[in-house]
Amino acid sequence: MADPNLKDKVEELIRDNQVLLFMKGTPESPACGNSMRAVNVLESYGIEYAALDVLPAMQPLREVTGEIADWTTFPQLYVNGQLVGGADIVEELDESGELAEVLGAERAEPAPQSAKQELKADNPQQSPPMQIER
Amino acid sequence: MALVDDVKTLIEHGLPGATVEVVDEGGGDHLRVQVSASQFEGLSLIEQHRLVKNAVRERSDTGELHSLTIKTSVPK
Repeated sequence: MADPNLKDKVEELIRDNQVLLFMKGTPESPACGNSMRAVNVLESYGIEYAALDVLPAMQPLREVTGEIADWTTFPQLYVNGQLVGGADIVEELDESGELAEVLGAERAEPAPQSAKQELKADNPQQSPPMQIER
Repeated sequence: MALVDDVKTLIEHGLPGATVEVVDEGGGDHLRVQVSASQFEGLSLIEQHRLVKNAVRERSDTGELHSLTIKTSVPK
């Protein structure tokens, strides 16, 4: 069973961030090809999004997202509190135009560099769950 | 059993009657799978992928299967 404290924290992150990407690594330095694919798609919309690096707590986060969304692989994109999917779905919805509807944004290439909004530990509203004492 | 065959078998078990093609994209643990199944009819993309992912969960959760690229379709 997933850690209830971590689960609460993750649910809060999903609720508080309109566009949230759980990924391996960071948008600047993705640690996995699939996470990079998801970042590349998001960047092409030039929107603000929050990104959380799952690597420091991958197994606990797998358990948590398994319970929350029945999805245990990363990346995972959440928009308006709902799981949109992993890299394959994000790319497929991007190509079909559905992602633009989900995000409420149009593709705007090249993505402005300021669009990235990474979770920082010094921002209490958005501190990664693994830094919470539990 | 090679992971490619193992994954194919797991998906076929999870989705009886499905046509499953698995391709090794490198290293034996980065796989691409194309699944055509009547069970996908009427389901959203995310539900379709969930069915495939859950079928191979015992391999992906352990990290044995590092990456699975999924393409789903409903047979005509």
